[in-house]
Amino acid sequence: MNCPSDGTLQARLDGELEAGEMEELNQHVASCSRCRNRLEMMQAQAERVQGALATLDPSGQTTDAPRALARFRTKMDEELEPKRTWFGKLFAPRLRPAWGVLALVCAVAVLLSVAPARTFAERILAMLRVKKITVVSVYPTSTETRTDQRTAKMLSQLISDNVVVTMDAGKPQPQPSAAAASKLAGFDVRTIGELGTPQKILVNGEAAFQMTLNRDRMQAILQEAGRSDIQLPSSIDGAMVAVHIPRTVLSAYGNCPERMAHHGPPPQEQPGGEANQPDAADNCVFMVQAPSPTVSVPPNLNISQVAEAALELAGMSPSEAHSFCQTVDWSSTLVVPVPGNVSSYQTVNVDGVTGTLISLRSDRNRYSLLWVKNGIIYSLNGHGDPNQALNLAASLTD
Amino acid sequence: MSHTAQALKAVNPVAEARPMQWPDAEFEAVFLEHYSRIVGVLLRLLGERTRAEELANDVFWKLYRTPSVGEVDGRVGGWLYRTATNLGIDALRARARRRKYEDAAARTQEGTAAASPLDDMVRAEQRRRVREVLAVIRPGQAQVLILRASGFSYKQLADVLELKPGGIGTLLSRAQAEFRKIYMELHGKEEEL
Repeated sequence: MNCPSDGTLQARLDGELEAGEMEELNQHVASCSRCRNRLEMMQAQAERVQGALATLDPSGQTTDAPRALARFRTKMDEELEPKRTWFGKLFAPRLRPAWGVLALVCAVAVLLSVAPARTFAERILAMLRVKKITVVSVYPTSTETRTDQRTAKMLSQLISDNVVVTMDAGKPQPQPSAAAASKLAGFDVRTIGELGTPQKILVNGEAAFQMTLNRDRMQAILQEAGRSDIQLPSSIDGAMVAVHIPRTVLSAYGNCPERMAHHGPPPQEQPGGEANQPDAADNCVFMVQAPSPTVSVPPNLNISQVAEAALELAGMSPSEAHSFCQTVDWSSTLVVPVPGNVSSYQTVNVDGVTGTLISLRSDRNRYSLLWVKNGIIYSLNGHGDPNQALNLAASLTD
Repeated sequence: MSHTAQALKAVNPVAEARPMQWPDAEFEAVFLEHYSRIVGVLLRLLGERTRAEELANDVFWKLYRTPSVGEVDGRVGGWLYRTATNLGIDALRARARRRKYEDAAARTQEGTAAASPLDDMVRAEQRRRVREVLAVIRPGQAQVLILRASGFSYKQLADVLELKPGGIGTLLSRAQAEFRKIYMELHGKEEEL
């Protein structure tokens, strides 16, 4: 045998040679003083280095892998949840039923407008119904502050604690055709002629819920949102807002995410076209058709007053919010705030009525075309050239 | 048919466009099999459990986002430890540039069963010096030394480092010589090494 390499000697020291190799090497080393010296030097070096590295031994410390996996899963689910725009967060699933947000706004309106001395027994509920959509730009100061997160969490908790679902929509029901969807939904479901047959049609069930006001918690939320200047009268505690949402229809065209079918963006939660929307692929186009929800609130409700506060919370200046609110008929208008720094909108003629085309510069140039016709709220959504929405809407079946 | 409609037809069905993903059960099995050992290796390198677990999570996050790693049998383990040690050595080197932080972390995180506070301090200083050397020698050498110290066989090392097992002895021998040389240059104490 020739003199072995340092690598072979090292393997010999580490006990990593095969039995035959080991025997051959040992015989050579026994007869070769040079290799014997090399081996001794390498052994001394290995012992010193390995001794030094052994000081790093963390033995005695245990790692709970199953627990780590559970934590990892939780974090992964959070990471994989699609990033929501500020606007999207306004209607995030955790705020479900998202019309609860509207109920909350109405509730705050009650708080601001009702005189403390008035008794609740005297009140008769008023009915609100969406006949028109108005879009307004707001400029939130921040999209992702801890305060925002805390406020959203508090809002979510408030809604989950105070909302009683009186009619559960259940899971969205896939339908084989627009005709079948029309029959189930109770109104004529239209399709986009230019895109052919929808890849998917989902009908969301009828839903209703009531929300009872909790003055202390709403006050805490206002405080968290930096509006502790708004003092809510304590006597309104317990007032009730009721929301009824008819069956709504979502039709999807193109390469829309599969989870749309599993989780189904509940269109009734998003007449503005933003709520719980799927992380759409670029050629995914989807349309929501939703008969107006009805919201019942106590009378003498100065919604304008509260909407001002809500718009201010959303980032509008007090004077702008005041002027804007003077122009809106709150009993029939759904106001959709969009972040002005990342989006623009224009009034357009669509489907024989006036609608609004919103373009979001973020979220891969997403567009939403909104209009209301014959009591149905329409929302047509996609990515790319916003004018495409008008072409698609022009090809809607009657 | 419009361009839009044609484009929509072209990419259907949906399933064709969906990226491959790890099956949940398979991913969890890999996690449970390797997580503790990866934390152990990173703990040797960094001496700080929180940081070691953070990096271990990063490793599995990368794995989750790289499902192609799982396509080849036996490749996952090697990939995991290679990625983990790369991340760990990067972190060690970054930390070596923030010496003050390291000192604090080493002392607070690695209280051992030493006989006295003085022994604790001596051992903490030893560990600091060893890690300092690992941060200075070539990353590939630090990698093989830390993995070998963590109990990896030559075959396992070959899988991780994507080498033939026959080359591991040479790599280790050179890495040990380099470690010793740098240790002496930095600290000059033969009795410690």
